[in-house]
Amino acid sequence: MSEDRANTAEDNDDTTDFGFTRVDRDAKAGMVRGVFDSVASRYDLMNDLMSGGIHRLWKRFTIELCAVRPGQTILDIAGGTGDLAARFSRLVGQDGKVILADINAAMLEVGRDRLIDKGASDNIEVVQADAQYLPFADNSVDCITIAFGLRNVTDKAIALQSMLRVLRPGGRLLVLEFSKPTSPLLGKIYDQYSFQILPAMGRLVAQDADSYRYLAESIRKHPDQETLLAMMADAGFVESRYHNMTGGIVAVHQGFKA
Amino acid sequence: MTQHDPALLSAALAGAERAMNQAIALSPTSHQALGGLSGTLLGVEVTTLDLTLYIKMVDATEVRLMTHCEDQTDAFVRGTLEDFGALATSEDPAAILINSSIELRGSSHSLIALQQVVSRMDIDWEAPLVDALGDVMGHQIAEGLRSVFRWGEGARASLKRQVSEYLLEEGRLTPPKAELEHFYDAVQSLAMRVDRAQNQVEKLLAKAALKRETQ
Repeated sequence: MSEDRANTAEDNDDTTDFGFTRVDRDAKAGMVRGVFDSVASRYDLMNDLMSGGIHRLWKRFTIELCAVRPGQTILDIAGGTGDLAARFSRLVGQDGKVILADINAAMLEVGRDRLIDKGASDNIEVVQADAQYLPFADNSVDCITIAFGLRNVTDKAIALQSMLRVLRPGGRLLVLEFSKPTSPLLGKIYDQYSFQILPAMGRLVAQDADSYRYLAESIRKHPDQETLLAMMADAGFVESRYHNMTGGIVAVHQGFKA
Repeated sequence: MTQHDPALLSAALAGAERAMNQAIALSPTSHQALGGLSGTLLGVEVTTLDLTLYIKMVDATEVRLMTHCEDQTDAFVRGTLEDFGALATSEDPAAILINSSIELRGSSHSLIALQQVVSRMDIDWEAPLVDALGDVMGHQIAEGLRSVFRWGEGARASLKRQVSEYLLEEGRLTPPKAELEHFYDAVQSLAMRVDRAQNQVEKLLAKAALKRETQ
């Protein structure tokens, strides 16, 4: 791997990262949309193949950290195919509400159909929304989750501020995202896997190696554990902390609105 | 929160949770008792493994296992793996809770009730076998399994009785239960008499000291 992980909170010029490539800030959202339009129909299958099914365990632990109670309102940003939303739907019950939000219409369509098939759509709203400019009232949500989505957002600082605005005081944000392995040896193995095996699997299963190469590159450009923690503090979250999972390949960050 | 990798713990708990829920589904006779425990939340800290987990009785047919929970538990128990093994298999869980090193916070009622439901679960192995293999084959295999279990249960009880008889009668390695209870009663009676004597001595000493002061 030739590129270093981004260590700055955000880019200061008019360009931003799209994997290892620098692109205009205004163009990134469209390019990310293109990637997810391409992989939407096989997104969950690929996630299972790429992670060996472990992504379900990462999400299970994230849901536990949400400490959801019946009657609450949960916003699942970049919720895509709706696997978190389906779990939240049961936990909040009929008196609660789950908002499944994603910038990508194709992913939302797959998610909405899947939720209807599961019979879990009664208390779920599906909203196409940009994480940077959430179309929800201030102080209106008890808990926000964004699983494997923040790294695709053009300006993460703006997105975190938008999430803070929407959260009720005492509400919490959970960011589940790929991060930096804690062991150098694991890091090397992980690099080989990401840049050799992952695109090959993308080519075989989704007939789309480029999109999966972007996914691997975007993971490397995403802020590491401590940098993201500092970004959350800068945005105004308090009591922020993170849990490494699977040797730091993934981390879940948690922060509260004061 | 323990220091173990949350993904590993989640994997273990997800597997255990699935097995428990399948066992519950195959044991309709326990649904009523489990229904009475709906909403109950138990916390378990296993010191040997540096592990804390939470058991939530969702309803009559579902149990949820968690590594993290912020709700108030109905009961929280802390002990070693051996302690919990003894509690799970005990015919008298209240005695284990009192006599073992298990620490209990909250009400023991829900914990004992859950232990009793688990120990009385009668899993109907025939249902999934019949679904998978058909009525005749499923029933035959289930009957065979039941015979094996019955034989195993009988063999276990017989072995336990024989070992007990050998230790008591032939090897004379342990005293009979009645003799042991008599010994405990005697020790307790002696302890009470010693306490009484000590109190009387203290009273006499106090009286003597008072008498010296007045003279």
